[in-house]
Amino acid sequence: MNVLISGGCKNGKSGFAQQTAMELAAGGPRYYVATMIPSDREDRERIARHIRNREGLGFETLEVGRRIEDCLTLAAPDATFLVDSVTALLLNELFCDPAGEQADPEAVKRCREGMKKLMAGAKNVVFVSDYIYSDAFRYDAYTELYRASLAALDRFLAQTCDTVAELCAGRVILHKGGLPV
Amino acid sequence: MDLIIGGAYQGKREYAKTRFGVEDGEIYTCTEDTGVAFGARCLDRLEEFALWCVRNGQDPVAIFREHRQEWQDSVLICQDIFCGVVPLGADMRAWREATGRLCAYLSARAETVTRMFCGIPQRLV
Repeated sequence: MNVLISGGCKNGKSGFAQQTAMELAAGGPRYYVATMIPSDREDRERIARHIRNREGLGFETLEVGRRIEDCLTLAAPDATFLVDSVTALLLNELFCDPAGEQADPEAVKRCREGMKKLMAGAKNVVFVSDYIYSDAFRYDAYTELYRASLAALDRFLAQTCDTVAELCAGRVILHKGGLPV
Repeated sequence: MDLIIGGAYQGKREYAKTRFGVEDGEIYTCTEDTGVAFGARCLDRLEEFALWCVRNGQDPVAIFREHRQEWQDSVLICQDIFCGVVPLGADMRAWREATGRLCAYLSARAETVTRMFCGIPQRLV
């Protein structure tokens, strides 16, 4: 079963995603796929907080910032993956060049193909994304490209996944499918 | 009239086509420079029309009220621009306000209001 979880930030997406992945794994091998490549102290503190939150849940952490399908070669068969987050994965794929000046036009396609392979090879995948589409601001072209690209991935996942859930204040708005009991 | 709202890139226009059979040639896309042209089967980017209003000292609700007969059988699309921090610029604040008032006016008069989320329609009641 594949699940897309999105919503605004600080609404409980990661916690809910962990819970969902735990249910789906049903005691089987489960992996937390950390896609963010840390670049400063703030990132590292955030990672430490997330690791503490996962303690005792039995997740093995995989650090995969690009080529998301590589998760499969690092994991046991019949694995459940929690990909946190699509947002960071896209960022890494879109701005491969460390100078960040050149956006890779193939990034969305590469992410989509990678996610397709991951879903085909895994038992369950839970994807966490971010809803960043509802503010009154004129962004620069790079940011706008990033927003449009993330939306393309979100919509691909929404179409492909069995369940689509929006988190708001820790509560679930179910847009598609059902939740694992 | 049917109203479709949702954030940027969420599939609003696509839904207007699949759900209401709107064709590309029947869609008028508002811009901040041109405002709106009534009479089209589908009016898209009403938030841009609201920005045109702000820039030209017009009230979007008053204009829609005046032209009611011309849009009451249309499909109207507006972007949800209401969830960010309060914009710093006064005209961007006025834009958000004007768009919000227009949305409220239209949703009270719509047969259906649909919010798009990642390409999935959610009927609002």
